Amino acid sequence: MTQTYEELITELKDVVRKIEDGETGLDESILLYERGAALVKQCEELLAAAEMKITRISGDP
Amino acid sequence: MDWFGCGEETPPQEKAPAKGPAVLRVSEVSAIIAGLLDDRRLQDIWVRGEVTNYKLHSRGHHYFSLSEQESGEPAVIQCVMWRSSSRNLPSGIGNGMEVIVFGHVGTYAPQGKYQFYVREIRPAGAGEKHLLVEKWKKELLAEGVFSEERKRTLPAFPARVGVVTSETGAVLQDIRNVIGRRYPLEIVLSPTQVQGDLAHREIAAAIRRIDGRVDILIVARGGGSFEDLFPFNHPDVVRAIAACRTPVVSAIGHETDVTLADLAADLRAPTPSAAAECVVPDRELLREELRVIRGRLGKALTVRLGHARDELREIRDRMHPGRFLRRIAERRQQPADLADRMARAIQARLEKERLLLTSLGDSLAARSPPAILARGYCIAEKDGAVVKSAGQLHPSDRIRLRLRDGSAGVRVEDVAQEGTHDTDV
Repeated sequence: MTQTYEELITELKDVVRKIEDGETGLDESILLYERGAALVKQCEELLAAAEMKITRISGDP
Repeated sequence: MDWFGCGEETPPQEKAPAKGPAVLRVSEVSAIIAGLLDDRRLQDIWVRGEVTNYKLHSRGHHYFSLSEQESGEPAVIQCVMWRSSSRNLPSGIGNGMEVIVFGHVGTYAPQGKYQFYVREIRPAGAGEKHLLVEKWKKELLAEGVFSEERKRTLPAFPARVGVVTSETGAVLQDIRNVIGRRYPLEIVLSPTQVQGDLAHREIAAAIRRIDGRVDILIVARGGGSFEDLFPFNHPDVVRAIAACRTPVVSAIGHETDVTLADLAADLRAPTPSAAAECVVPDRELLREELRVIRGRLGKALTVRLGHARDELREIRDRMHPGRFLRRIAERRQQPADLADRMARAIQARLEKERLLLTSLGDSLAARSPPAILARGYCIAEKDGAVVKSAGQLHPSDRIRLRLRDGSAGVRVEDVAQEGTHDTDV
């Protein structure tokens, strides 16, 4: 979960919206679909890769 | 003696009924005293002292004295606290207790005494701390530390969550558990003492130390007494929170405890666990959202392909071969038609010419000498030449008349030219 997840999900929603909008050409729609599928995969990987880590900032005066 | 003299000058028997020395009624004096005590310095004030002669009346009212034994001179003021104010009474109030009381000084006419009407009472130590918090709150409010415009929205997907709390204790564990369950990520701990006389300095330092190194910051402490939470009211901590570049979520004590630190935070969570829920999204919900988006993506493309197919079908229909053949036939028709029209035109023209020629032939034939003779005319010839004028003839000339079917020799009797007579044939 990074800033990147936010960017990915934002782009993904944009891709879906563009395909759903009838104005987009067929070739572009197919390219967008491929991009969207890749984004979904990336998002899933990011979610799966998340793991807990604890660090500590020592009290330097 | 003097006053007898005075009496002589102004005989009392004359003036007394109207203007004798003013005699006030008791109630009037009481009212004046009450008016004098109605002084700003005696209204809505806090007074500190020791409780003595405490009595709880059967009706639920509290009576006691507030006394001070400074430099051997005792000072006492009677106090009364009505039952209706009793909810502002700390438990265990009794003789010997140092307290601060809030209220006003007033008179009690039936017993001719003044007393302090108590509306709130607090143990002196903690009570004064409360008052201090109220004072700080006013100051910080004036600084704008609590203003709503300062509040920032939390990042939707933080990568690192900072936690300012005690290194030991349930709070950190609660936060870890919730974050681990919802969305495991990096937790950065900036440890600090959370209670004690100097805790506020340590807490403020811990906040400043971690600010800017994480995406969001939780400042948390478990439940405790007002005294336990007191460092989180200290201006050092409140200002440190307000100065943070990183958005801050506070979770100090239980839901009912609100510290000044809570008021300065961008978001106040009721408990440390709730704070953890506020700062990280739920991974399962994100996965669900992804599933929905993936479905929409597939459906969107299917719909788009459907449109493309429909479009193609429509275009194909419009391009059907029959239409082309028709158009080609139409094109071919045009030269054929022209050829026809041309042929017809030439035919007509030839016909016309032929007719003209025939009529010319006819009129030509009609003008030929045999045709003329056939109609009964004759031609006169003299010496082999056609006579065209009477002037060519003279009496006794011999001429020959040619007729349709022969000729005859003729002698001219006389000649009469047009305009001259005596010519006869």
